[in-house]
Amino acid sequence: MPVIVMASPKGGVGKSTCAVLLASEFARMGAEVTVLDCDPNKSLTRWANHGMPKGVTLHSDVGRAEVVPTIKAADGDGRIVVVDLEGVASQLVSRAISQADLVIVPMQATALDAEIGSEALALVREEEEALGRDIPHAVVLTKTSAAVRSRVQRDLEKQLEEAGIDVIRPPLVARAAFSELFAYGGDLTAMMNNPDIVTGGKVDKALANATSFTEAVYERLK
Amino acid sequence: MSGSNRLAGLKARPKASSSAEVRKVDDVGAARGFVDRSPRKKPGRKPSPRTYQLHPKVMPDIGQAIAEEAERQGVTQGQLIEQMWRQFQTGQGTG
Repeated sequence: MPVIVMASPKGGVGKSTCAVLLASEFARMGAEVTVLDCDPNKSLTRWANHGMPKGVTLHSDVGRAEVVPTIKAADGDGRIVVVDLEGVASQLVSRAISQADLVIVPMQATALDAEIGSEALALVREEEEALGRDIPHAVVLTKTSAAVRSRVQRDLEKQLEEAGIDVIRPPLVARAAFSELFAYGGDLTAMMNNPDIVTGGKVDKALANATSFTEAVYERLK
Repeated sequence: MSGSNRLAGLKARPKASSSAEVRKVDDVGAARGFVDRSPRKKPGRKPSPRTYQLHPKVMPDIGQAIAEEAERQGVTQGQLIEQMWRQFQTGQGTG
């Protein structure tokens, strides 16, 4: 089963949010999902400590020395593997990319995110060349506006596509429910069905966004 | 979107994972500034669990012999005294 790696040397772009959404949505589809938390901030471990969806297994504190064997062990047992990386340019990141069936580079629609995120894209291409195999990769824009597609976002999407970079659509919209998954754990469906959880946002819209995003990722894994 | 049968069609591709291939990936990464940033272990030697200190005065030739034997065995004088103590206890039938 495939290995999906979230990579960007910039912090705060939405790597962990993408990882949680993919893990929980693929688990909802019936997959056994192994999640590797390679981020020293332990965002995924914090999420898991509040409760993990059925079908998701977490490995915490996966470092540079362990990342390849841990992915290898999880990859062989019929699971989808989701790897959440630290937001720095490190050997851990380059090693994880080498094991990917799909590298997702989340970025906000800003010049800074695009510039730093492009480092990850360049690294993927150089690893493809060095290893002699294709490493499918795509950008997903994150924290976009629910109401309007900004000019900056349109320009960035155009630039990425002109550069031959695959852009996942839909982008991930800025939703309170996505952030609050880390406070409540579990998945968006559980959040929507629990009247005790107050998110201050539209969980149904967040769920629809997460489902479409996961479907778009699924299409790239076939 | 539901049904694990859809997921059954997803396949992993074989990936490079030999130490030579990992080294190649490290080199490619290092050239772009993706270097080893693992937290370093605390430098220096670990504190010894031997915290109790004896202050015996012995005859110079005995002291010299103990120091030489410890050096020959590659242990500290404290460890040598521990060995001697264990042998003493064995001899006493209490070890």
